[in-house]
Amino acid sequence: MGISGWFKLGGRSVFSWAFTFQRLTGIVLLIYLLAHLTYLTSLLDKTGATYESMISLTVSRQFLIFDLLLVLCGVFHGINGLRIIIHEFGFAHEYRKPIIAVAAILIVAVWLYASYVMCSLTGG
Amino acid sequence: MKTVESAKSVLEPVAWLLQMVTGIVMVFLVTIHFYVTHMISHDSLRYQEVITRLNFPEYKAMYAILLLVVSFHAFNGLRAIVLDTTAGLRSRKTINTLTTLMFLAAFFYGLYLLVSI
Amino acid sequence: MAEFRVRRYDGFRSYWQSFEVPAKRGMTVLEGLYYIKENLDSSLAFRASCRMGICGSCAVKINGKPRLACETQILFLGDKITVEPLENYRVIKDLVTDFEGFFAKHKAVKPYLIRKDENYEEPKELLQTPEQLNEYYVFTLCIKCGACYSVCPAASTLDSYLGPAAMAAAYRFCADSRDEGQRDRYEVVSSSQGVWRCHLAMECSEVCPKNIEPAKAVQMLRRSTAFSILRGILGW
Repeated sequence: MGISGWFKLGGRSVFSWAFTFQRLTGIVLLIYLLAHLTYLTSLLDKTGATYESMISLTVSRQFLIFDLLLVLCGVFHGINGLRIIIHEFGFAHEYRKPIIAVAAILIVAVWLYASYVMCSLTGG
Repeated sequence: MKTVESAKSVLEPVAWLLQMVTGIVMVFLVTIHFYVTHMISHDSLRYQEVITRLNFPEYKAMYAILLLVVSFHAFNGLRAIVLDTTAGLRSRKTINTLTTLMFLAAFFYGLYLLVSI
Repeated sequence: MAEFRVRRYDGFRSYWQSFEVPAKRGMTVLEGLYYIKENLDSSLAFRASCRMGICGSCAVKINGKPRLACETQILFLGDKITVEPLENYRVIKDLVTDFEGFFAKHKAVKPYLIRKDENYEEPKELLQTPEQLNEYYVFTLCIKCGACYSVCPAASTLDSYLGPAAMAAAYRFCADSRDEGQRDRYEVVSSSQGVWRCHLAMECSEVCPKNIEPAKAVQMLRRSTAFSILRGILGW
């Protein structure tokens, strides 16, 4: 089936969707890490001018939506990762449905809270 | 059936364990990092604030550890994704070497930035 | 009447074909397929044997999910049934897929008791407590229907991946108190196509008609494999 097996639409349980999104968010976060390190190169300019000009660009209302999506990726990857670690040692496989439900609620709650704070800080 | 790697290889079990350990460490460190930079006040992102913060050895150490675990987790994750494919597994050794080099490059570049600030 | 949409393949082209099947209460999808073969189109190919969920021959994708045709009742699913061959296997004809690789992987993990003192001249009774039996019992229920392998995302991108069924079998024997072949099996399952390729999509446990939780077996096997290798390295 190939890679399409990771993204097939029909007949899949919520667990393999979590797997797919863990992959996708992982790749997004990897790209972000590289971008982040590149971005921080601006700190080498000791006057701070380069860094400040980049910060004024990215910490803005226009950029907020990307920030929020990135936070969603991070929150999902982290909480879903913890859920996987529980099962990784063979524990609680019988309770996987309630555990994934709790994880989903946590993801949404943490993301909404972080979004709310970020929106109010950016003056949104 | 042909197996391409003997059980004596320690890479896979160590990578598997470290992926979990770094994951757990990151949940805490990324939360702290994010909290400091985005949840209290965006003033903490001003150049002068960043420099002051990084002058604390505690912060510097935390960022060094975060950098190490993040780079490992990211490139070991990439390695796992690529090795999950038939084409990727065929060039297993190249993938292992490449992702290790990328991990080290990311880590040392970040470390260079951290010490030169 | 129920409408059966069957995915056909004649060696050259793949297409859907619809059949009208008179569905009665309690009638299974397998009986529906037999009805089609006997009354409507004798060229339809599918595998079946025991008709009672024991042989594992009739696993096919029914309404998008792998199920045993002999254990799935038509009216339980409604009056529209789609039947397709399992994914992640090469289709030979219609619903018949190539299981050679699947069984080769099963064989590769040495799914039998390995003893150092094997002596057929003077056979010895091997005792086991109920607790020791419970350690592995559930994994003996696997009927090798291949449903788990057909939904595994790792198997979909990696042809040589051992897969949930073979590794569950490996764990079943490794966890058996009478067995002394762990080291041999760890050697196979710790290869790059083995336990490390599982990332807990858990689809195998979701579709297993025997509810044996292959995903759990793979995790247990990975845990013991990893610690065995690390102990070996550290000389413990």
